[in-house]
Amino acid sequence: MNFKLPKLKIGGIEVKVPLIQGGMSVGISLSRLASAVANEGCIGVIGAAGIGMLEPDFSTNFKEANKRALRKEIRKARENTDGIIGVNIMVGLSDFCDLVMVAFEEGADLIFLGAGLPLELPISLPAEKLKEVLSKIIPIVSSARAAKIIFQYWARHYNQIPQGVVVEGPLAGGHLGFKKEQINDPDYALEKLVPEVVSILKPFEQQYNQSIPVIAAGGIYSGTDIYKFIKLGAHGVQIATRFVTTYECDASEIFKEAYINCKKKDIIIIDSPLGLPGRAIRNKFLNDVIEGIKKPFSCPWKCLKPCDFRKVPYCIALALTNAKIGNLKDGFVFVGANAYLSDKITSVKELIDNLIKEYKRAECTKTI
Amino acid sequence: MNREEIYGKLKELMVDKLGVDEDKIKENSHIIDDLGADSLDVVEFAMGIEDEFNVPKIPQDDIEQLTTVNSILDYIEDKTK
Repeated sequence: MNFKLPKLKIGGIEVKVPLIQGGMSVGISLSRLASAVANEGCIGVIGAAGIGMLEPDFSTNFKEANKRALRKEIRKARENTDGIIGVNIMVGLSDFCDLVMVAFEEGADLIFLGAGLPLELPISLPAEKLKEVLSKIIPIVSSARAAKIIFQYWARHYNQIPQGVVVEGPLAGGHLGFKKEQINDPDYALEKLVPEVVSILKPFEQQYNQSIPVIAAGGIYSGTDIYKFIKLGAHGVQIATRFVTTYECDASEIFKEAYINCKKKDIIIIDSPLGLPGRAIRNKFLNDVIEGIKKPFSCPWKCLKPCDFRKVPYCIALALTNAKIGNLKDGFVFVGANAYLSDKITSVKELIDNLIKEYKRAECTKTI
Repeated sequence: MNREEIYGKLKELMVDKLGVDEDKIKENSHIIDDLGADSLDVVEFAMGIEDEFNVPKIPQDDIEQLTTVNSILDYIEDKTK
């Protein structure tokens, strides 16, 4: 029997494999990883936050450095693939709107906006252009309520709704849209969130006569997991952690090894300077922070709107940049809850082929 | 509408949208710290203000600033002049 993966249609684009590589910012998913993923028929995503950190003029010309670096990465990705390329941008970035406009101008197929509510773009655009930019935006939410409020806001102010939504559950890596006590509460599990989001968006689908694909994300590790969430009503999944342990991932080898070497007990929840909990691998740097040791830094400009740079114990953009380049003494690694399962580096192709195989096996055993 | 009338109507809206007791609402109440709203409540509440007071779209930056009853009263007063 020949089982086929369901196709994903999002923002007018048909995706062969309903899999989005989650954007991993501060240099983890750049053009190399994103184009490799796109070449396999999935959506490759460039993480935009902190993308200019390694530009030579970053400390004096931060905004331009970010814009230039993002532009460069999108163009490089395009040179290496005809597939689908997205950009992930944090709403909490001071220059979030500038980066959205760069992604749009460079022809990113989709723009994923999370870590904040994507309600509006603080820029004045002609109505037609605004419509076009908004049509690329896929919000990332962590509750049905957030999805409903974003859709309500868009419907009343733009008379259009997002073309899809990513629901990121509490097992995701990096910043989490949950309170600490909700992370292990079964009421907030992704298995509960996905059907809630699907059902809360139904009236919008009817009103606008369009289907709204719901993408499940956060802790999805195997093809069996993908099958489970498709059965729960998701139209696709977003996976990030798995792509770190690939040859094509843009992080340093040391960063990737941290994933392979970590044990379940090493994965902890930290309080990020952004004011959100985050999931990371415990190391000396984080132990120091937990013990109250400050890591002095100078802030050339406030890159995150909610960051109180005079009070926070370390600069998260700097710590994550250090991690990207392999300096874990002065940084730390964000991970998804299941990162401890990774045991080797593979190619993106091999990873995706395996996920599809596992998916088909799951479907086969469930339906016989 | 004068400030008094706006305040009366605003209190009703807060009871309805934020689920707070009317007697807890003071002019200097902070809607997150004192009245227990979260960032999603604030957006929902802002949309309620648009409807109830017929004010034009409240920009997201303004929504984030409208955190005390006083600042909301000022805002509505200004927009409904």
